Amino acid sequence: MSEPIFALATPMAPAALAVVRTAGDRCIDIVAGLTDRAAAIRNSHGGRLRRATLLDPATGAAVDDVMLGIYRAPASYTGEDAVEIFCHGSLPGIQRILDLLRKAGLRDADPGEFTERAFIAGKLDLTRAEAVNEVVNAHTRAAQQLALSRLSGSVAQEIDAAKGDLATLMAHFTVQLDYPEDEIGPLPLPVERIEALRSRLAGLAATYRTGALFRDGVRIALAGRTNAGKSSLFNALLREDRAIVSATPGTTRDVLEARLDLDGIPVRVFDTAGVRETDESIESEGIRRAGSVRESADLVLYLVDGAAGVDAIDRSTLKQLGSKAIGVWTKVDLELAGPAPTDFVAVSTTAGPGVRGLVAAIKDRIAATGVAVDAAEHGGVIVDSARQRDLLLRAVDSLQSLTAGIAAQVTVDALSLDLQDALGALGEITGEVSSADILNQVFSNFCVGK
Amino acid sequence: MDVDAIVIGGGHAGIEAAMAIARMDFDVLLITQNLDTIGKLSCNPAIGGLAKGNMVREIDALGGQMGNIVDDTMIQFRVLNRSRGPAVQAPRAQADKLAYQVKAKQVLEAEPRLVLFQDTVVELLYSSDGRQVAGVVTERGKRFAASKVVLTTGTFLNGRIFIGEYTSSNGRIAEPAATGLECSLIELGFRMGRMKTGTPARVMRRSLDMDKLAPQFGDREIIPFSHRRRSVDRGQVECYITYTTPQTHAVISNNMHRSPLYSGLIVGSGPRYCPSIEDKVVKFPDRDRHQIFIEPEGLSTDEMYLNGISTSMPEDVQEAFIHTIPGLEQAEIVRPGYAVEYDHIDPSQLYPTLEAKMLRGLYIAGQTNGTSGYEEAAGQGLVAGINAALALRGAEPFILTRAEAYIGVMVDDLVTIGTKEPYRMFTSRAEHRMNLRHDSSDIRLFERAYRIGMHSETEWQDFQHKRDTIAALKTELGRHTIDAATLRRDPELHSAAGKTFYDALKQPEVGLERLLGLRPELGSDVRTDWIRQVEIDIKYEGYVAREERMVNRFKKLENLRIPRDFDYNAVPGLSNEAREKFAAVRPLSVGQASRIPGVRSSDVSVLVVLLDRKRRAA
Repeated sequence: MSEPIFALATPMAPAALAVVRTAGDRCIDIVAGLTDRAAAIRNSHGGRLRRATLLDPATGAAVDDVMLGIYRAPASYTGEDAVEIFCHGSLPGIQRILDLLRKAGLRDADPGEFTERAFIAGKLDLTRAEAVNEVVNAHTRAAQQLALSRLSGSVAQEIDAAKGDLATLMAHFTVQLDYPEDEIGPLPLPVERIEALRSRLAGLAATYRTGALFRDGVRIALAGRTNAGKSSLFNALLREDRAIVSATPGTTRDVLEARLDLDGIPVRVFDTAGVRETDESIESEGIRRAGSVRESADLVLYLVDGAAGVDAIDRSTLKQLGSKAIGVWTKVDLELAGPAPTDFVAVSTTAGPGVRGLVAAIKDRIAATGVAVDAAEHGGVIVDSARQRDLLLRAVDSLQSLTAGIAAQVTVDALSLDLQDALGALGEITGEVSSADILNQVFSNFCVGK
Repeated sequence: MDVDAIVIGGGHAGIEAAMAIARMDFDVLLITQNLDTIGKLSCNPAIGGLAKGNMVREIDALGGQMGNIVDDTMIQFRVLNRSRGPAVQAPRAQADKLAYQVKAKQVLEAEPRLVLFQDTVVELLYSSDGRQVAGVVTERGKRFAASKVVLTTGTFLNGRIFIGEYTSSNGRIAEPAATGLECSLIELGFRMGRMKTGTPARVMRRSLDMDKLAPQFGDREIIPFSHRRRSVDRGQVECYITYTTPQTHAVISNNMHRSPLYSGLIVGSGPRYCPSIEDKVVKFPDRDRHQIFIEPEGLSTDEMYLNGISTSMPEDVQEAFIHTIPGLEQAEIVRPGYAVEYDHIDPSQLYPTLEAKMLRGLYIAGQTNGTSGYEEAAGQGLVAGINAALALRGAEPFILTRAEAYIGVMVDDLVTIGTKEPYRMFTSRAEHRMNLRHDSSDIRLFERAYRIGMHSETEWQDFQHKRDTIAALKTELGRHTIDAATLRRDPELHSAAGKTFYDALKQPEVGLERLLGLRPELGSDVRTDWIRQVEIDIKYEGYVAREERMVNRFKKLENLRIPRDFDYNAVPGLSNEAREKFAAVRPLSVGQASRIPGVRSSDVSVLVVLLDRKRRAA
């Protein structure tokens, strides 16, 4: 009934181990047939880990020594029979295993297909399905914690509670719509309760920024004139962090990106190395540089060579950046360097203060911008999909319009529309009134193997 | 005698069904137990009310009869909920009961392709494979063949009335129940149930102490329900208001053991929204009074209807508690209140055409489907009649959507959700109510009805004239601006300075009458009720547009069709409950599926994904 599918669940990159996931009818039999212990694996209970050697059926040659995680329906992620193959992480080795599965009759999974199947099997609701994507993409422990809490349905619970409140409010209006005024007189409308609900939903929507930061990381750009020490600082920050995820050239040829974990906050540092001054006028160059970094970054570390001092470009750029900027006074270990001006953080990439002071300043600044650092502050409930945030805001807008309408003495027929809209918006978040488009959007965001 | 279609029953559903079939040019036979009770208002002497009044106007826009009959026979008219906004206002009329019946019968008699016949249908005939209806057999042994049968038995199918310890096999007091037909239905496999409804006592006007009653007058202006009339110019009668007292409640409480509702005699479920006075006393012990509207039953009688205290208490108890009510101390009770219990079918066994899923050609409408109310019955009768006629033509079915009409909401609710208590239409059941105003019913529905032959050419031209006039006035309003000259004549319009008349109307304090006062030539040839309609249209444009957006969201789900043979057993993610319900109801769209009670959102989402996947694969 369900076609057996497979996909590599870990990145296609050299590593110690890789995981290939399979699910669907007969997939246990099929995988068992590719091993030296076909009978034992075919008859294995679910929820067991079995060791086996994968063999190429064409030649009988051993392909890899693997562990097989056996799952029996319905006790698996997708609710179907499933086998997870833990193999060695060499690229040619992985390729061979994928080829074996393909030849044995399994189909390459579509993006998000495993999660879609889990959803269809009733194992996940929509908010949880979205959360899977984020658990997988989480870059720090705190971010992962957050996504995991959504997996357990905390957003759904919070929304359900709000929906219950809305339904009670709706009842207040409904009675006036359904019974004539000479039978049931005017009822006072519960303005305070509407307001309380509105601010609760607005608060939940506001956690999106935090959610997005945990998923995408706080974007920090390094800026400053050439030779201000950007690359040295970039490397120093990377050394400071013991859990570097990657330090690869970015999509833009001249920008380097690194992912850091600053005490749980995922951070992406962009080194804008390669931006060169030209013969353009000083002022326009300042504006151009500030403009391009400001657009993309949450924070800008603006470096000034301590030996060269602050010049006109620096001043105008800093002014442009405003509160986004942290002024960094570099090369303080050099004799020529002057004392750091106020508002500048002094760093040395080779000696002296190092970059610890700067890391502390970054953390302070992130906290000060209202971006929460600790997921626990929000009771663990954080919205981290833009779809959910938009729907929450729609509900908030509707409730705002409701309050305004009550004040302006709008008649109840029109007021009830606001409530209905708010209810509809919340319903869409948990998938109650989801249209096919929304679902497509959710599942198409998944990568293969999830 | 062979006809194209047979209608069983001459109540509000039967009248509309038979008239629709005849107007669509088929021979129809209406069989009723008693020709003298056609169109009888069994309970309160009123037509319309919140949501119900909208349905009467929809029936009229669709070419039905109810609005026309009540226009002819109303003796008081009011628009309810004036303070709560145009979208939830509705017309309600007190009808002269006897006059209503007489007029209803005249309407049927005047229809050339309609034949009346007095007898009781006791059996349905169907094809040998049991899948197609073939005709009916009556009590007196007559057989009529037809390929379409519309069943509208009301409270008569196995009806039984209760007055305290007294019980009798009746559909209405003193009118015998219809028995036998339920066996045909059970044989066909219908799930049946029992429902209960009740009516209060009738008292003589001369025995009331009018000084203790507060009169309630009709509106100054009567707005006709029907498009066929321009106005109703008629004297109106008053209704009266009084209240029960703690003594009333004490009498009822002390005799509760004698109520068939509480002694266990009645098993059928009654309406929660229209409880008997016994129920009110039990369920709302904190209330020290309940409102009673005393309504005249007609101009040719002194009987008065006691709206609000329906009861099945023994007659001595009825008399005792009614005499504790101010103004009714000396009331002469000429007919007792009673409860009636009757068989109904589970309407989720019908398609949205009201055709039975298990027997082709059999349509069921009205109280037989577990509804309550004249207007609900008439709306269904019309839908059943139109679809029976369309099926005779071999044409596409006529289905009103939830976004289009209250009748659409009702039929969708019935065939999707079924009903556990007598189903009554409420404004809040319609999620698209901003667009379902009573005064816009013709704009929404008239053309659709004309296209299938429910309106004459003259009526169609009149409607087009109205539609064009309204459109033209709106265009004109968009062309004129609140300019300096206008402001000189009406300085208070300064808040709308520079706006077109059209946009100025969107401000709450600006009315169309006032603007037309400044430019009388704009509205000179436009009827007052049309002017009002234009004004509300414009003022509500924003709300309707907003609702439209919600409608469109909803249409996406509605457009996601589910194949009739969809195998729900093959979907592991569905809950067992949903699987059973989907298999039983066989929803035709995801929208319909999502409204089945007990179906969880996750079940619907699963369905959406599966269907979408199939669509993509196809």
